[in-house]
Amino acid sequence: MTPDAKDLLGRPLTDDERELLDLYRRLKDLSARTDLPPCVLFNAKEAMVKLWNAAVDLGLLYEEPRVD
Amino acid sequence: MSRNTWSRYWNPKHETLPKEELRRLQLLKLQRLVARAWQESPYHRRIYERAGVYPDQIRSLDDLRRLPFMTREEWMACQAEHPLFGDMTTRPREEAIRYHLTSGTSGRQPLRVLDGRKDWSWIAEMWCYGFWGFGIRPHDTVYFAFSYGSFIGFWGAHYACEKMGCLVLPSGNMTTENRVRQIVEMGATAFCATPTYALRLGQTAQAMGIDLRRDARVQRVIVSGEPAGSIPATKKMIEEMWGAKCGDTAGMTEIGTIMIFECDEQPGGTHILEDHFIEEVLDPESGEPVPYGTKGERVVTSFGRGFIPLVRYRTRDMVEKVPHTECRCGRTGDLFRGGILGRFDDMKLVRGTNVYPRAVEAIVREHPEIEEFQIVLTREAGVRDEITVRVEVKEGAQAQWPRIEARLGKDLAAAHEGLRFNIALAARGELPRFELKAKRLQDLRDKS
Repeated sequence: MTPDAKDLLGRPLTDDERELLDLYRRLKDLSARTDLPPCVLFNAKEAMVKLWNAAVDLGLLYEEPRVD
Repeated sequence: MSRNTWSRYWNPKHETLPKEELRRLQLLKLQRLVARAWQESPYHRRIYERAGVYPDQIRSLDDLRRLPFMTREEWMACQAEHPLFGDMTTRPREEAIRYHLTSGTSGRQPLRVLDGRKDWSWIAEMWCYGFWGFGIRPHDTVYFAFSYGSFIGFWGAHYACEKMGCLVLPSGNMTTENRVRQIVEMGATAFCATPTYALRLGQTAQAMGIDLRRDARVQRVIVSGEPAGSIPATKKMIEEMWGAKCGDTAGMTEIGTIMIFECDEQPGGTHILEDHFIEEVLDPESGEPVPYGTKGERVVTSFGRGFIPLVRYRTRDMVEKVPHTECRCGRTGDLFRGGILGRFDDMKLVRGTNVYPRAVEAIVREHPEIEEFQIVLTREAGVRDEITVRVEVKEGAQAQWPRIEARLGKDLAAAHEGLRFNIALAARGELPRFELKAKRLQDLRDKS
């Protein structure tokens, strides 16, 4: 993520927001994999939608993640 | 983090966002929502093409009005033509994790809805805004008097409280008496139900010799599911019965969650979650927007539900929007004064006068001797409409009946252009009690 990343309203991200967004994207990538055991995949999906909520609440993104 | 340092807002960043920025955020979300609806929902593409509107024409919030309304009738027709869920869903059924139905209190075919994993997480999130805003915190023990069926009810609130770290007590199909005992035994600090059921449980406790103010530890009663949650007299009855603050919320199955909640300032209205919804208030006849302080119909656009894009859905709910500055809490989400005021399709015409069940309830609840009531409409001699309010009074109040009868009849007439209401005394226990949405109006005019 670039250091000058911004939220939906164009404000610079704080360090916490940057970390949150990064975690969300990593979990989203993990959730899209097909080679993981169920105990990893489905818990990753659960974690990913929770972080989606936090990121959307803060206006860091607005997208519809493909979860299942 | 110590309990004393919690933010009073669930989402401090957006709940206090300046209005201009809130509008920019709404526009950005609206543009993406409409583009997704166009791409993924055959229903939406069809109605947009019919209206001659395309996603790239949504350049300002005023452009929202280019978009056609969604209606309950069209939704039902869509599900009839494309069973079971219509062609407005954006994902295959295999990706859903939950199925719910509307409550069916309107007597029509219930709507069927599907939601995915992300949708349910968002549904709970909206309840978090509301519960946190009314003062629920992780140390609370929250009691749900709710049957956990296919009616969506408090499902989302249950998950919200788990997310917030509360101890959740789901009472499922327990009897009212057992619920009373469990609330006392477990020291529940918050109680969630319909307003009607909050009163009923209180009455049952009294009959069991339990004083909830003394014997229970409930500090907050959160109600939903009926307009009565914002009727001052009903709220006062609940607060006095429970010795607790009563806060209103409102949602609907069509959006899956709540869109408004009362904050702990109890400002006489409910805040709109404006970073997740657009709530228009329109003249129900012309479809034109009405200004602040004018009653109109709610039309909702939801940014959260993924399976079913909800854009400009006509709810038939009657509301009155007022600026956020009417509340001191600092939130910038506007308010619906008095919560949901009723439904336009609940209105009954009786000898030329409009009668709304919520307005009748507001007056009945001003009479603390009344325990339960029912409104019955009949047609006499095939022509003359009559309205009767059947009333059950509390134990020991029977001797006051002549005074209650006279006063209630006078108050109801005064609020309805002089319309004469018949007031009838019902035997104790004769009138129906309700757990979910109360159905206190019986219109028998076609059968009279």
